[in-house]
Amino acid sequence: MSTRVLIVEDEPNIVESLSFLLRRAGFDVAAAGDGESALADLRSQPARLMILDLMLPKANGFEVLKAVRNDPALAGTRVLILTAKGQASDRRLAEVIGVDAFMTKPFSNREIMSEVRRLTAG
Amino acid sequence: MDTSLRPSRRSVLGARIRDRRRSLRMTQAALAARVGISASYLNLIEANKRSIGGALLKRIGDALEMPLESLDGAAERRLLDELDEIAGAPMLSALALTGSASDLAARHGAWAHALVALHRAWRDRDHAVHALSNRLSQDPFLGDAVHRMLTRVAAIRSAAEILGTTDDLAPDEQRRFAQIASDESERLSDVAQALATFFDKDVSDARPRTPIEEVDDFLLDRGNHFAELESVADALHAACGDASERSLADYLKRVQDVSTGYRHVAGVPHPARRAAEYDAQARTLVLDETLPAPTRRFELARLAADLFDQGAPLNAAIGASPQLRSAAARRRARRVLSSYVAGAVLLPYVDFQQAAVAARYDIEHLGRRFDVSFEQVCHRLTTLQRPGAEGIPFGLMRVDAAGYVTKRLPLPRLLLPRYGNACPIWPLYAAFQTPGEIVRQIAEFPTGDRFLFVACAIDKVRPAYAMPRRLMSVMLACDVLHADRTIYGEGLRLSSAAKAVPVGSNCRLCVRSDCAYREEDPIVGA
Repeated sequence: MSTRVLIVEDEPNIVESLSFLLRRAGFDVAAAGDGESALADLRSQPARLMILDLMLPKANGFEVLKAVRNDPALAGTRVLILTAKGQASDRRLAEVIGVDAFMTKPFSNREIMSEVRRLTAG
Repeated sequence: MDTSLRPSRRSVLGARIRDRRRSLRMTQAALAARVGISASYLNLIEANKRSIGGALLKRIGDALEMPLESLDGAAERRLLDELDEIAGAPMLSALALTGSASDLAARHGAWAHALVALHRAWRDRDHAVHALSNRLSQDPFLGDAVHRMLTRVAAIRSAAEILGTTDDLAPDEQRRFAQIASDESERLSDVAQALATFFDKDVSDARPRTPIEEVDDFLLDRGNHFAELESVADALHAACGDASERSLADYLKRVQDVSTGYRHVAGVPHPARRAAEYDAQARTLVLDETLPAPTRRFELARLAADLFDQGAPLNAAIGASPQLRSAAARRRARRVLSSYVAGAVLLPYVDFQQAAVAARYDIEHLGRRFDVSFEQVCHRLTTLQRPGAEGIPFGLMRVDAAGYVTKRLPLPRLLLPRYGNACPIWPLYAAFQTPGEIVRQIAEFPTGDRFLFVACAIDKVRPAYAMPRRLMSVMLACDVLHADRTIYGEGLRLSSAAKAVPVGSNCRLCVRSDCAYREEDPIVGA
């Protein structure tokens, strides 16, 4: 069974490019457009990795990350934040809450795929 | 680099001729006949086994309805140069694209052009993003625009990379990612356009402005002189007899049936409480008894101005203005104008203007003479533009100790920053080092414009002992050409040959790259 990756992103075109890349690399890809549905999706079907935007409708990325880290059932979820909010303060906050990796937009496909492979390995 | 040495140029040319011929559904034989060569020779050309130029290339170009420039390789060379630039970009170095540009150009010419166009757009926008995000990093509109740009760029870049690096894309996938790149480019353009408009003064009418900006523009447009309000002030002054506190309070009681009361303040007052409160229902004005006398008189005169002729003159001035669009701006303007009238009641135009000229604009002397504050004198000096009885045109700026601009009245050639800091060399800031002392300076801008700056840090009422001292620095500015008419020009060498202090508007806009006071890179030429 292939590894499940959940893309949490409210920009459909970015979702489409990322989905394309991940599927080609053999991942099982799901997408959520806001924070609340991301958590609902994750709880109904765990994912190995969540690629998480920070600026999201309903619950923002920090809130989603915090909810994931506070839920023992989701302990195995790796979180990669992918955001245009790349300020040092955002990064620090994400690290404090417990992010696994932090990347900023615009991103290179190669970099994000190598990060995804690293986070889903093992 | 001599690009003509590149083997790719010829291969691009042959492929170009073949692709164009095919797209016109023309056989090799037909094209060969049109340009007067054999089909087999054309086949060699298209297979890049013969190089051509001159008249034959021109004939082929004409037959294919292609500009010579795109056939003879000039356009290709530019394209390949730009593709090489993309391939060499640090952010794409991991993809090892170098050397593959000619293949892309030959096989997917349109895609190559699309990539170049996107790259240009991305680079331009990237520059804009950097410049603008630094320029007003605290501005909410800019913050949002930058975020949207980065999001758009992320989508474009990802789609462009898929197009540029995936060899086996299905046609519908190609179309889909090209569509994404195209749609997102359009949105990126919209954001970029909105940003450009944000900064473009010529189209500033089209963008939403803050109420403060609307009032700023209103005052600038009127040169901060309102003849009709001067008449109101003259009428009020005449009706009061003089501008003493007693006379103003008597006038309010007699004409407007407004009683004035004084509030005794015991203990620590609430810092946010207003020092003067008018109750329109009860028709009472309550003044804090600890207010300085000039401020009490000013508040009385302001209420008299507000109530004069049921507010008609103030409302007319505001209603006639095309700049004041929002209700918030009109409310703000009303307060500014009632302050204007109050200042004019305390400092009647003719008396004050004559006294100012006679005293050579000595601010402290005028303050004593009319029993008003330093700041009230400065403010009134900026309004002396009655035709036939003009004073020196003064600009004014006031900042608090944190550098916030709390008042600004620019001059036509003197840009006073609306937000953020002005040049740290201006005496506006040095004045904080010596509160109560007047600091002056002949300042020369990079344009060569020279101004006399006169600044003083003044104490405002502090709300309580435990609160910090409240200083405001007030600065008047006039063209150095008028400096000899002021006491502040005395002893200074005012000729343009004399040395002046080199200043700028603020670091972001200043070109003095070697300035020891520079705190930020210039927005252009960093």
